[in-house]
Amino acid sequence: MIVSLIQIKKDSALSKSIAEGTEVTASNIDLSISIWFWLAIIECIIIIYLVFKLKKRNVNLDFADISKDKLNSVKSSSIDMGNVMNSINSSRGLYKNLSRLCHPDRFINSEKQELAESIFQEITKHKRNFQKLSELKQRAKEELEIKM
Amino acid sequence: MWYKIIEITEWFGEVAERYRLVKDFNRAAKYAFIQGTAPTLLEAKITRGESTYKHAFSKWMASGFRIKALSGRPLERGELVEIGRVILDNEELTRKLITLGWDTLEVHSNKGYNGVKWALKEFAKIGGFLN
Repeated sequence: MIVSLIQIKKDSALSKSIAEGTEVTASNIDLSISIWFWLAIIECIIIIYLVFKLKKRNVNLDFADISKDKLNSVKSSSIDMGNVMNSINSSRGLYKNLSRLCHPDRFINSEKQELAESIFQEITKHKRNFQKLSELKQRAKEELEIKM
Repeated sequence: MWYKIIEITEWFGEVAERYRLVKDFNRAAKYAFIQGTAPTLLEAKITRGESTYKHAFSKWMASGFRIKALSGRPLERGELVEIGRVILDNEELTRKLITLGWDTLEVHSNKGYNGVKWALKEFAKIGGFLN
């Protein structure tokens, strides 16, 4: 039906142009408008479908119930990348050294045993954080009187 | 209307913050390598990420945070895991990565075919953090 309508329009435009003496090309304006109109509608349907699908998927994902506004403070926080690099390169050796020197078994039956246990727990907790391990090293030096 | 404008400015701010984080990482890695504290040069870049690790804040087609170790030799799995674990054990950094739209952490070397990747959402404890 659409094809026949286009054909009729085309024929009428042709006869009109013959009468007026103008040139008619295959790319008739009416014809092109109708094609772009249908293309636009199809595109619109696809976009609506994709948006709907995206919304639906986001609801099922993790953290979907958390508002982004609540996380703004995390976004603006600054990370000490120097410490991250030190942790990647040097924390393993420091951890091994500290865990050996501050092991509670070395302080059995002494008054520093409890302190050594708490420091050792902290060392294990922060085994991949160079800055924390450096602080604990200082603490072990002062409080446990360990020579490094 | 105003809400939309704020949303758009926030989006641009977020993109800038993502690139700033990558730039800071690369700069710190470069300094550590030049000073001699790091035996290998690390390089971070944004990749597509793993689609199965997606979460609500994931960026489309840019949700992977890849660390490439320019070691010149294939790194062992243990070495790659150690680099990744340092990032994942840093809760602040992990949460920041998640909120800025990353969902996958990838570590690999420039030689060999080994690589490891983690889903960031498993290490963030974001629900607990907010509560």
